[in-house]
Amino acid sequence: MDSPVFAAETLGLTKRYPLAWKRRVVVALNKLDLQVRPGEVFGLLGPNGSGKSTTIKLLLGLIRPNEGEARIFGLGPDDLEARRRIGFLPENPYFYGFLTGDETLQFFGKLCGLRGAKLTARINELIDLVSLQNGRERPLRSYSKGMLQRIGLAQAMIHDPDLLFLDEPTAGVDPQGSAQIRDLILRLKKMGKTVIFSSHLLEQVQEVADRVAIFSLGRKVLEGSLDDLLTEKEATLVSVPGELTDARRDELERLLAQSGFTGANVQFSRPRLSLEQLYLRTVEAERQP
Amino acid sequence: MIGRILVIARNTLLEAVRQKVLNVLLLFGLVMIAASSYFSQVAIDQQIKFVKDFGCGAIGLIGVCIAILSVAQLLPQELHNRTIYTILAKPVRRSEFLLGKFVGVVLLLTLSVALMSIAFAAVLWWQETQGLAAVQADYVHTPGWGKSPELTNMYQHDVAQIVNQVRDPQMVEAILLIFAKLVMAAAMAMLVSTFSTSFIFTVITTCGIYLIGHMESAARDVWLSHGAQATFGQGLFLEMLSLLVPDMNSFTIVDEILDGNVVPWWHTWNLLGYSAVYTGVLLALSELIFEFREI
Ligand SMILES: Nc1ncnc2c1ncn2[C@@H]1O[C@H](COP(=O)(O)OP(=O)(O)OP(=O)(O)O)[C@@H](O)[C@H]1O
Ligand SMILES: [Mg+2]
Repeated sequence: MDSPVFAAETLGLTKRYPLAWKRRVVVALNKLDLQVRPGEVFGLLGPNGSGKSTTIKLLLGLIRPNEGEARIFGLGPDDLEARRRIGFLPENPYFYGFLTGDETLQFFGKLCGLRGAKLTARINELIDLVSLQNGRERPLRSYSKGMLQRIGLAQAMIHDPDLLFLDEPTAGVDPQGSAQIRDLILRLKKMGKTVIFSSHLLEQVQEVADRVAIFSLGRKVLEGSLDDLLTEKEATLVSVPGELTDARRDELERLLAQSGFTGANVQFSRPRLSLEQLYLRTVEAERQP
Repeated sequence: MIGRILVIARNTLLEAVRQKVLNVLLLFGLVMIAASSYFSQVAIDQQIKFVKDFGCGAIGLIGVCIAILSVAQLLPQELHNRTIYTILAKPVRRSEFLLGKFVGVVLLLTLSVALMSIAFAAVLWWQETQGLAAVQADYVHTPGWGKSPELTNMYQHDVAQIVNQVRDPQMVEAILLIFAKLVMAAAMAMLVSTFSTSFIFTVITTCGIYLIGHMESAARDVWLSHGAQATFGQGLFLEMLSLLVPDMNSFTIVDEILDGNVVPWWHTWNLLGYSAVYTGVLLALSELIFEFREI
């Protein structure tokens, strides 16, 4: 690997929640091993309740594992040095309703040790970045869901962290907004940041993620780079320019049968599954036994 | 570290101020203090004593409501709204978060007590004016006014009595002691709320502890007065109790002050020190529990 230290790493990470009234436990996360390299955009996929948010919260040190450990840039998640390098957008973000957009960013900025002109400049920058000009002076209690999501993103980036955890960043955001968030993630990637995000919008994940892991019932059931996962290895797609009439297709088939397919206009590429197909296939397979 | 604690404290105070519920409570306190002067007593000194009792009582009562209620809703609200996640994902320790919240409540109590004390002082000042006017009216109509030095002496004595009763510097002690008591109540609520799962549980349990704190010394008195010596069981119980629950009854010296008795400053300092230590212990316990709590 390029760098010996992973941006985020888990080793046998397990989280159980007791159900007090039934003497049962929910295994929210089961022996997760995960490694995210610096600079990667990593997608966490899986049905509701499969452990995506649990993984993120464990990596942030918000909840504590029953077994295993989580590391951020080689440090424990409780380490303040590690926390300085991470930003977090929680799912269904909800902030102090009595603060305005500006005050919210000031509050979180100050918690990160930013002050004065530097903080003001950063806030202006972020407000532009998430297009929230109309929310600066308004209390968050009057925000729409998508606006909360935007202020949440701004808040997560206030201290310019190296690693961002975004739990369903596009939930509740309008199409334009979710396109902006997609572009933002791509821009962060260009800046060399690491992004770990969860999402149910597979098309979007496909557009931005380098690698994904699919969770089911607290277990990671599939992991890999999108290039690897979505490439069908058993078949080859032949693509030719222009419209293909029946006559020409017969001709092509004959030609192919003779296997004399040379010429600059004939291109071969591998057909790709959509991430959606892969996801459904994986999750369905998990449900079978 | 101090910076982060203060940022959280400031935010907590801001939240309390922008939440109108506490404002209403505070307004209620101010009205209570102001209204006390409308319950007229026959004698002026009784009237002033009544206003003092009433004012200190109102500050204590409203204060303890603000202390317990505002602390009890802190954690449940943070957990319910998940605002705590966003804060703790920043470079903020759990202990800093909790301490910041507590300092915020102490600031709120300071503000509330200050406002109520100002109202209290205003009412007392008004009482003084009224009292002095009444005394003067009395003497002016007495035959021999202005001629007999004896009468002038009596008049001056009466005036001095009213002024001394109203401008008793010991009232500062009384307010400080009440404030210390409120801070302790807030710390108790903080400790309870770190293991409580609901607002109601915190409020009821804290009120319970607060009341036990008031009865603790009464129990001691009763048991010790009967058979000279408490039984081993009783003694142990009292020891445990006094370790767990601060002795709130020692704050009844506020009543001594209100009765016009002299309470030396060292006594007040002792009590303030006692409550500071106790508050520290309660907070340390809270931090410990909160550190291991599932959020
Ligand atoms: N505080 C909690 N107490 C009990 N069980 C919990 C708690 N938090 C999460 N769980 C359980 O842990 C499991 C995983 O939850 P998690 O929030 O990680 O799912 P998720 O993959 O993020 O789902 P979603 O797509 O709905 O956000 C679920 O079965 C959930 O019920
Ligand atoms: Mg989730």
